[in-house]
Amino acid sequence: MNSIEEKLWDYIDGTCTVEDRQAISLLIEQDEVYRRKYNELLELNKEFAAIELDEPPMAFTYNVMETIRSEHAQIPLKAAINNRIIKGIAAFFVLTITVILAIALANINWHTGSSAAPLKLNIPNISPYITGRYMQVFVFFDVVLGLYLFDAYLRKKAFAKTNITVQTDGQQKQQPE
Amino acid sequence: MQSKLADIELIEQTLAGNQSAYADLVKRHQRFVFTLALRFVKTREDAEEVAQDTFIKAYRSLTSFQQQAKFTTWLYTIVYTTAMTALRKKRLDTDSIDDENMYIQLENQGGFDTNNAENKSRSYYLNQAIAQLLPDDATIITLFYQGEQSLEEIAQTLGMEANTVKVKLFRARQRLKEKLERNLKHEVKELI
Repeated sequence: MNSIEEKLWDYIDGTCTVEDRQAISLLIEQDEVYRRKYNELLELNKEFAAIELDEPPMAFTYNVMETIRSEHAQIPLKAAINNRIIKGIAAFFVLTITVILAIALANINWHTGSSAAPLKLNIPNISPYITGRYMQVFVFFDVVLGLYLFDAYLRKKAFAKTNITVQTDGQQKQQPE
Repeated sequence: MQSKLADIELIEQTLAGNQSAYADLVKRHQRFVFTLALRFVKTREDAEEVAQDTFIKAYRSLTSFQQQAKFTTWLYTIVYTTAMTALRKKRLDTDSIDDENMYIQLENQGGFDTNNAENKSRSYYLNQAIAQLLPDDATIITLFYQGEQSLEEIAQTLGMEANTVKVKLFRARQRLKEKLERNLKHEVKELI
């Protein structure tokens, strides 16, 4: 069976049923023992709620972030490389090799009986395509791609630098407190 | 302003690579995490270590945080497990001192001076009394009052049933009241 104190704590916490709440409310109004106990617990409840939190050392956040940063710095390059880039490069090579292999196999004359006969491969003549204009387009594409990658690299570097600055500022602000 | 951002927004920014967002999250919760750690390990140095480990563990597993529960509930669970591990380690290091004895010793040598009682604030006596409680009692009181966690959230943090937490909270309050009364002796009647 619940003690008076237990019932009153439930009432104060708001964890009792509506019926119990009404009954306890009535008891507090009418019963002197209940009323006194209720006021005592209510005061105690206020006291408990007013317990102050302890303050960690001033450099606490800085220490946490430093540990996190040093852990990040220790990650080997192998783990830091994006797997999608590796997969993309692998897919490119696999595709290139497959295409070359398919062209080569398609051009082999399988009906040639004599092994002494020289193997003639019907390699497509690409020399007309290696003209000044095609080369210019190719070089232009390479330059654009190079600039794009360089820009991405600089952005990444600038972002990392901003983060470090924010952290350092936070630490500087914390120190004088 | 970033200080007004919700925990969840700071988490999203952290996951997007913005470490300063995580620093804001640490600043926001460090006082409570440190206080909670102090309920277990008692010395400020150990509490700082537990609190620091908590935030580092939280950072590492931030991707696994499912936003079904509050971030604080998830964070306090990490504080609890980290503190328990630290306590277990400490127990192994110090020839398994019985908890109850240890706290009785703390209570006796707590430096409580009744002559100075009138000069101390209410919060001083409460902090003293809460420091004399067993870790479980002190944690439940802290989570309920300072952490403003519901019984269900405390149950989730401590891995208990909500009803068990309710009973434990009732007992913890009674013990805290007893400690407070014992410490304050005659002054308690004026204070509560």
